[in-house]
Amino acid sequence: MERSNEYEDVAVALAEVKPTPREDFAAELDELVAAGFPRKSRSGRPWALGARFGRLSPQRLLFATGGAALAAIAIATIVIASNDPATEPVALDSGRRLDSRPQTQLSEPVPQAAPGTTGRSTGSSAAGSVTGQSTESSAAAESVKEYSTSLPNSNSSYPTLSRTTHREIERSAEIALLADPADVADDSAKVFSAVHDARGIVLRSTTTAGRNAGAHFDLLIPSARLGDALAAFSTIDEVRTRHEATADITKPSVTANEELQDSRARIDGLLAQLSTAEIESEREAIEAELRGERRHAARLRSQVARLHQRADFSRVSLRIESDSSSEAPGGDWGIDDAFGDAGHILGIAAGVILVGLAIVAPLALIALLAWLAHRLWLRSRRERALGA
Amino acid sequence: MSETLVATAADAPREGDLAFDEPYRSSRDDVYAYAAGLVRDRAAAEDVTATAFERAYRKRSRFDPRRGNGRAWLFGIARNAALDELRRRGRQAELSAEPIDTTSPNTEHSELRLLLIGALEKLDARERELVALKFFAGLSNVEIAAVLEIGESNVGTKLHRAVTKLREVCDGAF
Repeated sequence: MERSNEYEDVAVALAEVKPTPREDFAAELDELVAAGFPRKSRSGRPWALGARFGRLSPQRLLFATGGAALAAIAIATIVIASNDPATEPVALDSGRRLDSRPQTQLSEPVPQAAPGTTGRSTGSSAAGSVTGQSTESSAAAESVKEYSTSLPNSNSSYPTLSRTTHREIERSAEIALLADPADVADDSAKVFSAVHDARGIVLRSTTTAGRNAGAHFDLLIPSARLGDALAAFSTIDEVRTRHEATADITKPSVTANEELQDSRARIDGLLAQLSTAEIESEREAIEAELRGERRHAARLRSQVARLHQRADFSRVSLRIESDSSSEAPGGDWGIDDAFGDAGHILGIAAGVILVGLAIVAPLALIALLAWLAHRLWLRSRRERALGA
Repeated sequence: MSETLVATAADAPREGDLAFDEPYRSSRDDVYAYAAGLVRDRAAAEDVTATAFERAYRKRSRFDPRRGNGRAWLFGIARNAALDELRRRGRQAELSAEPIDTTSPNTEHSELRLLLIGALEKLDARERELVALKFFAGLSNVEIAAVLEIGESNVGTKLHRAVTKLREVCDGAF
């Protein structure tokens, strides 16, 4: 409750001593107000922009900050998404870019094959692609290293070991093509043609017609021509997936060869004994042992042949697939892909926001605390100026 | 580097500035009187008044009527400007070479006026500020409470104390 009446006498008395501004000051101030308080300004001041921001209303400042934050998030999302292979499922998994992409060499080059073993582990087969299962590739390279250190010294008494001084590399590949159901038959024919051109073998083939048309091929391709064959398969239709793997089978090859040489040596020894044997029972015993050793040698030869075949021929599993998404109008990118991509982009955006908040939130908190501290300090200084 | 007065497009008077003109005209003399009563120096009071109106002009878009009336908001700005001036000059409302009484066109060196000026000098700075806000600027207790950021009853108590002190000094002259 104000005591206006109580202070009326004081008010009247103090009105007599109320300071009034000089007329010229009042006129000058009127002019300044009319002109909108023109600023003393120096061109090129670096803080001019800051002052300009300072004049913005909180709402405009909020909008400006929000817009800048949104732009930063959008840019960061685009940058991250463009660097993230997962956002290019079409291009990487089923795009044709794989077709003409040069195939990657094994990280550790395979030694050159000896004459006569061309196409086994070196030459054009060594240049075969080893993309895809890099872990297997590196594991194979590792086993190459390990075995190289454990190999016995070269010995002229083991003539067949010349082969084992080179790596025996078994290769395999899987490739899936995406085709229109109507094109599956044509694509299958092209596969046969490509296999023929590569002098490969079709072990098994299955072709299905109809709406869910597809085909599956189990192939053996000469390792020396594997790269060319895969390139040819890739041109037949759109590549959806492609995996290649290598395995070093040098060690079992060397072991089988050594055992075969031992067996041959034993056979030679038994034949020598047989030629000198005079007693019938002794001859029969040697012959029995000889038969057993020959069977053993035959098994070893078969084993060596299988290992050589594994190195000489690469297994290729080829699938031709067709699905409803490939029939979507406008190409191979459908509504499911759109949802998937949208979800992925939203996930990235959320991640960017989270990271941004993790960076900005502590800074904002520090700035807020500093601002509050400054206000308190300023207020305290002002009150002290008055009260002291 | 040359320093020039530049009225940028942002500074140019706009339609909304009409809303500033009215409170300016109605408060100009009151703000000056309050500033002069607080800083006790004519030149400083003019600086404070000009600074206060300039700050108010720049911040006019931030004024929120829900948080108080415009007059209280304006005097809050003027108070900060005055305290900044006091702080900057390292003075505490002392008499200066240009005391406020000589600036008044109503100056009549009457006995009562001298008595009042002497009485005002005997008040401490906070009491003098309160008197200036109440009797020079003509603010209500509610507005003074908003300016000083204290309670309205507290304003009433302090004001009563200051007026009592004034009366005692003047010894029943009014």
